Amino acid sequence: MNNSGDRSKIIDRRKFLSLGSSLAASGAMLATLNAAALGQTQELLPSVEGMAATGEPIPIGGGVPLTGWAAADGIEFKRALEMACDEINALGGILGRPLAPVFEDTKEQGADNIIPAMQRLIDRHGVHAIINGYNTGAVTQEYDTIADAGIIYIHHNTDIVHHDTVGKNPDRYYGIFMGDPAEYWYGEGLLAFLNGLVDKKEWEKPNNKIAIVTGSQNYSMVIANAIKDNAAKYGWDISLFETVVVPISEWGPTLAKLRADPPAVIAVTHWVPQDLAQFMLQFAPNPINSLVYMQYGPSLAAFREIGKDSTNGVLYSTVIAALQDEIGQAFIKRYKDRFGADSSPLVGAQVYDSCQYYAVAAALAGGTGGPGDEAQNRKISERLRRLIYRGVMGTTHFFYPEQAAIPYPDATNDPSLGMPHQYLQIQDFTKDPAMIAPPPYETAKFVLPPWWKA
Amino acid sequence: MDTTTQIIISGLTLGAMYAISTVSLSLIWGALNVLNMAQGALLTLGGYAAYTASAALGLNAPLAILLTVAAGGLFGVAMYALVVRHMLDREGFEVNVIIATIGIGMVLEAGLQKLYGAYPIRQPLTVEGGFFLGNVYVPYNSVIIVLTSAALMLVLAAVLARTRMGRAIRAISQNRDAARLMGVPVELVYAQVFALAGGLSAASGIMLSTITTLAPTMGYDPMLKAFIICVVAGLGNVMGALYAAFLLGLFESTVQFALGVRFAFISMLVLVIAVLIWRPYGLFGRTRVTKL
Repeated sequence: MNNSGDRSKIIDRRKFLSLGSSLAASGAMLATLNAAALGQTQELLPSVEGMAATGEPIPIGGGVPLTGWAAADGIEFKRALEMACDEINALGGILGRPLAPVFEDTKEQGADNIIPAMQRLIDRHGVHAIINGYNTGAVTQEYDTIADAGIIYIHHNTDIVHHDTVGKNPDRYYGIFMGDPAEYWYGEGLLAFLNGLVDKKEWEKPNNKIAIVTGSQNYSMVIANAIKDNAAKYGWDISLFETVVVPISEWGPTLAKLRADPPAVIAVTHWVPQDLAQFMLQFAPNPINSLVYMQYGPSLAAFREIGKDSTNGVLYSTVIAALQDEIGQAFIKRYKDRFGADSSPLVGAQVYDSCQYYAVAAALAGGTGGPGDEAQNRKISERLRRLIYRGVMGTTHFFYPEQAAIPYPDATNDPSLGMPHQYLQIQDFTKDPAMIAPPPYETAKFVLPPWWKA
Repeated sequence: MDTTTQIIISGLTLGAMYAISTVSLSLIWGALNVLNMAQGALLTLGGYAAYTASAALGLNAPLAILLTVAAGGLFGVAMYALVVRHMLDREGFEVNVIIATIGIGMVLEAGLQKLYGAYPIRQPLTVEGGFFLGNVYVPYNSVIIVLTSAALMLVLAAVLARTRMGRAIRAISQNRDAARLMGVPVELVYAQVFALAGGLSAASGIMLSTITTLAPTMGYDPMLKAFIICVVAGLGNVMGALYAAFLLGLFESTVQFALGVRFAFISMLVLVIAVLIWRPYGLFGRTRVTKL
C-alpha cells in the first residue's frame, strides 16, 4: 500500500522516537501535568478563580461541514472546539491569552469547498491554527494553502494519502498533523483482531474465507484493499470482493452471492449507517454462519435505531472515539451536560483532544504564531512531533516524518504510545456498543452473534 | 432456484423504487414540459412530512399519509404559484425553469436539514415482517411498495385518459395556446398538475424512505434514476415509465448478481444509450410524440 504499512519502517520510526526520548519524556510530563490541570478526569468543568485568560484573543479556526451530508458530524466538531477553548480559557488560555474559535463551512467537502474555507479562515480571521474533524474530498490539496500561510493544521481525515504527502516533504508541511491513524490500519488491524479471537478460543472459524464488500469511495477502498493485500499473511483467503455503488438499499444480489458461498467473515467497508442497517435487515431473516464486521456506520446510533435487533452481534472498530474509561466517561458527561443528551461526544472527541494538545504544545513553545509567523509555528510543530498526550481518546503520539497518529496495537505494542484501535460489538441494540478490544481498554468480552450456529 | 427468486425479488423492489420516484416527474414533464429538478427534494419532503405526522404528532398511519399527501399537494401549488407561473410565457422558459427548480430543491433540502438535522432517521411508517418464498425472505414492505407504485401509475394513467381534468391536461400538453383558445383554464389546470404531482411525490417519498431511510439527501439518487427512466420510456409517457422502471430494476439486479454491483449502473447507462440510438423517442414513445 505504502510505507506506513511496512513494519520495518515502523521500527525505524521507533528509533527516531527513542532518539528523541529525552525531549519526549519532558513533553509527556508537561502534557500529563497539563491534562491533569485541565481536569479531564473531573466531571465538571474545573474553574479556578483568577485563572481565566484575559489577554488578547487568539483566533483558532474550524473548517467544518456545517451544512451538507456531513453536517451532523460538523456540528459536533464545532461544539467540541468551542468546549475545548472554553475549558482552556477557564484555566488561563495559552500563556494568558484566550482562544477564540471561528468557523467556516466546508459544505459538501470537495476541494472546491474546503480550500476556500481554509483560505477564509486565514485571510479573514487570521487564525493561528486550524483544528478540524474530517473533511473528505480534498485529499491533501488544502495542504498548500496551509503551508503557504505557515500555520498549524490538525485534522482527522483518516487518510493514508497524508502519510505520503507529508512524509515526502516534511519541511514544507511541517505544520500539518493528522490527529488520528490512517484508514489503512483498519484493514490489517481487522485481520490481527480476528486471529486474536481464534487464538483466545473465543471463536472457532468455520473456514478461512473473508468476503469483502466495499463502497466506491476512497476511504472504503483503501480499507478493503488493505484487508485483501494482507489476508494471506494472516492465513485468510478472499472469497468475494464486491464493490457496491452508493447509496445502496437493496442488497439482495450481494446477499445471494454470500449465501451461495458462506465465508467465515463478511467485512463491509462501506460506511453509511443507513445502508449498513439495510444490509443487516436483509441479512438477519436468512443468516449464514459468518461474523459481520462493518466500518464506521455502526458507531452511530442511527445504525441501531434503523436496524434494531438485526444489528445485535455486529462488530466494528474505530481509531477515533472517546474511550469508555474514567477520562472518556467524564468527557462524555461534560459534553452531554452542555449540548444535550442527543449530542454525539464520540464524534466531538477528536477535535476536543486536538485543541487540548495544541494548547499544550503552543504553551511549551512559548506562544502561538499567526499567519506568516513561520518561526514560532515551527517551534510548535517540533513540540507536537514529540508530544505524548493522554486525552479522552487515549494516547496521541505521531509518526515522524508523516505526522500522523500512531495506532495501538497495529503499529506499536505499547498502549501508552499509540491511539487505541478500538473494537466494539453491538450486543444489545438498545444499549451502547461493548468495547471488546484492545487491552487494557476493553470493557466487555466478545460474544458469538445471535445468528451463529455452533 | 433461490438465487433466481432473489434476483427477481430484488429487481421488483428496485423497479418499484424507480417507479414511485418517476411518477410525478413524468406527469409534470409530460403535461407542462417542465423538467422539475426539485423532484428529489419533493420526495424527501414527503418522507419527513410523514415522519413528523407519525412520530411528532402521533397520528395513525392513514391520517399521517393523508396529511403528507395534502402537504405535498400544497407545496406543489405554492411552487407553481410563486415561481413557475411567472416564467411560463417568458422567453427561455424551459431552461429558466430548470434553474429555478434546482434552486427550489436546494432551499427545500437545506430547510429540511436545518429542521431535522443531517442524521439518518428510521421512517416510522415502515411495515415490518415478511414471508419466505423458498429460502428467500420477502419483506411485506417491498410487496406494498411494488403494488402501490403500480397502482399509483395505473390510477394516474386512468385519470389522464378518462377524466375531464385528464383531457384538459392532455390538451395543454399537446398545444397550450390551442387549449386556451378552446376555453381550457390553463392556469388552473397547471395548478392542478402541480398539486397532483406534489401529492404523488409526497406519497412516493413515504414509500421510498421506508427503504432508503430518511436523510436530507435521500432524493438525489432516485431522482437521477427517474430521469433515466423517463428518457428510456419516452418523455412524459406515464405507463411507459412504469414498464421501464420494472424492466430496468430487473436488469440492474441481474447485472448485480452476474457481473457485480459496480457494473449495474454503468450497464444501465449503456442500455439507455443503446435504446436512444435504436429508438430516439424512447422504448414506449412514438416518432411524433403524443405525451401522456
